Amino acid sequence: MSLAKPAMRGLLGKRLRFHLPIAFALSLVAAAAFKYGVTEPRKQAYADFYKQYDATKEFNNMRDAGVFESVRPTGE
Amino acid sequence: MTHASVFRGNHKCTTMRTPLASRCYSHAKVETDEEFDARWVTYFSKPDIDAWELKKGMNTLIGYDLVPEAKILDSALRACRRLNDLASAIRILEAVKDKSGPHKDIYPYLIQELQPTLIELGISTPEDLGMDKL
Repeated sequence: MSLAKPAMRGLLGKRLRFHLPIAFALSLVAAAAFKYGVTEPRKQAYADFYKQYDATKEFNNMRDAGVFESVRPTGE
Repeated sequence: MTHASVFRGNHKCTTMRTPLASRCYSHAKVETDEEFDARWVTYFSKPDIDAWELKKGMNTLIGYDLVPEAKILDSALRACRRLNDLASAIRILEAVKDKSGPHKDIYPYLIQELQPTLIELGISTPEDLGMDKL
């Protein structure tokens, strides 16, 4: 049985024309997924934390815990 | 699809596969497949081709985005015969199989087409020699 002549030219070009757009699209999707799945929630978590952050209160808590060297706890 | 034009032979009009070496900005006359094949058959048909030219020709040919036609390979195998280079002849067959990549139907077809030449020149295929198995 005689074999038919297959396509022999431009095989890589054909493959790339098919796969490269998909690769680019998937890369963009991966980047977008990371941005909106990881970095944005992270930034939001920080923002939420500091929205109600009372620096003075936290300082006094730390001071009373005795972790500073420059100020003694209140009352000593 | 600008990234496709980075690769030789890829043109923005992708309905017809363009031959090698055509860029969107080039006004050069595009060489047809037949002209390309004829050029390479002529290259390997040089009666006093030397070993360097054979290797250079094969390396250049393998660099293209195509599997060489049977007639080009026939011409190259005959050049190997003139140079008494059986090793290169078998290597050419291995290279063709490698160039086919995932397209497993190309190599058997080419062996079929080259069978008369292989018999005439007494060239064994890598499969005959068990060289296709590691």
